[in-house]
Amino acid sequence: MRIVEGRHSAAACALLLSGLVIVPTLFLGGSPVRAAEPIKVGWVGPLSPPGGYAEGALMKDATQIAADEINAKGGVLGRKIEVSYQDTRGQPEEGTAAAQRLISQDHVVAITGEFHSSVFLAEMEVAHAAGIPIIAVDVWALKITAKGYPEVFRVAPNQALIASKYGEWLAASGFKNVAVLYEKTDGGQSARDVLLPVLEKHGVKYDVVGSDPNATEFTAQIERFKNHSPPYDFFMSIYSEAGAYPMISQAYTLGFAPTPHAGIANTGGPAVDPTFWKNVGEAGKYLVTEIVGLPKTAWNDKTKAFVAAFQKRFNQTPSPQAIENYDAMWVLADAIERAKSTDGKAIIAALEKTHWLGGRGLYTFSTSHTPDWAYHQFMEAPVALVQFDKVNQEPEDAPIIWPRDIADVKYLYKKPGE
Amino acid sequence: MSWDYLFIQAANGAVIGIIYALIAVGVTLIFSILKIVNFAHGDLYMLGGYCAYYVITLFGVPPLPAMFVSMAALFTIAIILERLLLTPLYSDATERKDEYGLIVTFGLAFFLRNIAIIAFGPFPLKPPSFISGVQHFGNLIVTNDRLFAGSAGIVLILALLYFMHRTIWGQALDAVSQSREAAAIVGINPRRFNSFAFGVGAALAAAAGALIAPIFSLAPDMGVLPNIQAYVIVILGGMGSVLGSIIAGIALGESEGLFTAFFPDPTRALAYTNAFGVLVLMIVLIFRPNGLFGRRHLRME
Repeated sequence: MRIVEGRHSAAACALLLSGLVIVPTLFLGGSPVRAAEPIKVGWVGPLSPPGGYAEGALMKDATQIAADEINAKGGVLGRKIEVSYQDTRGQPEEGTAAAQRLISQDHVVAITGEFHSSVFLAEMEVAHAAGIPIIAVDVWALKITAKGYPEVFRVAPNQALIASKYGEWLAASGFKNVAVLYEKTDGGQSARDVLLPVLEKHGVKYDVVGSDPNATEFTAQIERFKNHSPPYDFFMSIYSEAGAYPMISQAYTLGFAPTPHAGIANTGGPAVDPTFWKNVGEAGKYLVTEIVGLPKTAWNDKTKAFVAAFQKRFNQTPSPQAIENYDAMWVLADAIERAKSTDGKAIIAALEKTHWLGGRGLYTFSTSHTPDWAYHQFMEAPVALVQFDKVNQEPEDAPIIWPRDIADVKYLYKKPGE
Repeated sequence: MSWDYLFIQAANGAVIGIIYALIAVGVTLIFSILKIVNFAHGDLYMLGGYCAYYVITLFGVPPLPAMFVSMAALFTIAIILERLLLTPLYSDATERKDEYGLIVTFGLAFFLRNIAIIAFGPFPLKPPSFISGVQHFGNLIVTNDRLFAGSAGIVLILALLYFMHRTIWGQALDAVSQSREAAAIVGINPRRFNSFAFGVGAALAAAAGALIAPIFSLAPDMGVLPNIQAYVIVILGGMGSVLGSIIAGIALGESEGLFTAFFPDPTRALAYTNAFGVLVLMIVLIFRPNGLFGRRHLRME
């Protein structure tokens, strides 16, 4: 019995000791302390070559501004937001690895970002498999939302909303024979596939030329365009990489476009980046490009506050992509707050009911599958075609030429010398 | 197609070819002396371009003197890099020297490219022109920057050839490239010439970067494509042959330009330009496995 009693005493002591250890541990790991742990959100995008690291850097900076603002207002669900940034280098395989790292190592509750469609298509497969919501920021390929994944949302306009505008505008402006030069990426090919049927519908003739996205020497091709018979009256480049600058400069110095006989446009983003004018100078005057934000006349208080904050912190004007990523971060924070949970399905359900006013207007996401790319697409994403009419002009100050309901000039296209 | 069209395309191809040659000849020089392929050479070309840009914009130096400053700076930086990173190549303790050279230059390339994004920013920059304006030849237009880049490139290549064949230092370099041991016996310090060759190669790349900057703009990743093209040119010309890499560089620039200008399917010409360069390499290697000038080089070895 004594032995038994001794055993009981030993067991009691062990229980007491374990209690001394376990109970405080439970408290330490329990809800009061865990509530203060940050909510982790992933960001993906190009921050080094061969990706579009210039745009990626702007998007990252804008994301951090949003995260800091959210945290300054008390965070989400009483917890701070912490962003884990992953450089995807414009490479789909890096995108896959980045998404896997974010989900399995950092345990993020959602992902946002990306500038390259081909990379986002890889990332969204990982997010889809894990049931983690992912908001596409500046990727325009149709199949991103056309795949119908419930986890995938897009705040950017897509090619059906952008390239079709170029097609309609080219036809309305009376251009008859267009030289199209596109980069061979998912984004470039998607734009081409949308643009060409619109041109065909309006009877506009065209020739289309593909290019390596890293190319910088276009002289031989532009000379070929210039010597074409019948002559082209418009040069449409679908090019998001840094090579757009030498392309625009070469088209100008070789006397191909812009001239009174041939207009020029670039879609893809480089024409709204901060060093555009330093690189192209006079060659940029009369260029048509798109802005995927609100026109300056329609800026709301949030747009103005963000632009001021960005200029103050980074000493440069934010690009439309930067505003997109700023808004995407806020849209996500708003959804988590409304979901009252960090569970993927709850966030997705909340995102579908988004009704949030951001720097680019009132955000809502379509739940229709007709057309297929409409699913989880921000259908009212603003897109305006602008034409620079001065050297060193900010994109937001350039006259809007299309769509006509928001155009602020009477002409559709201003030719050099007019 | 008119003769004018052929002339202008050939002129543009020649300018690009000369720039290729300036880069490739440095790779050849380094290969023939250090026996490694420098995969960071395109990134030294990028650094040279940025160096000239900042000398122009910060100190108000005109573009041509800025190019020489950039060449001197890269010559010095390259010697420091060679001393810091490539010394194990000369040690008997390093068993796999080829692999070491490959990995260390690849690593250096990534390091320089990423440090450039931090130091110079991610957005492309463009320095002022060497000579602004264009030249008209009938209906044809060539920019002064291209004419200047081509002319300056030719002068630099001729200066290099003169240096290699007519000066004692050039002949010493040639001696080291043929036999390090024999060169050492006659009193040439091979270690010193390793550094010197790396420095000269980098200075030529810097000149190419400074010359091309007003034409293509500067970006931290601008060396990626020249890295590949320089390697193609070096193999095409015959590994280790300086004259071979000059001729192969100009030939590659010409053939790429003329291919884009005359390929029968105009919608695919531009997209296939780089593939065409590699196709030229493959055809040459089938008939001349040592490259265009490889035979002479092998005899030297």
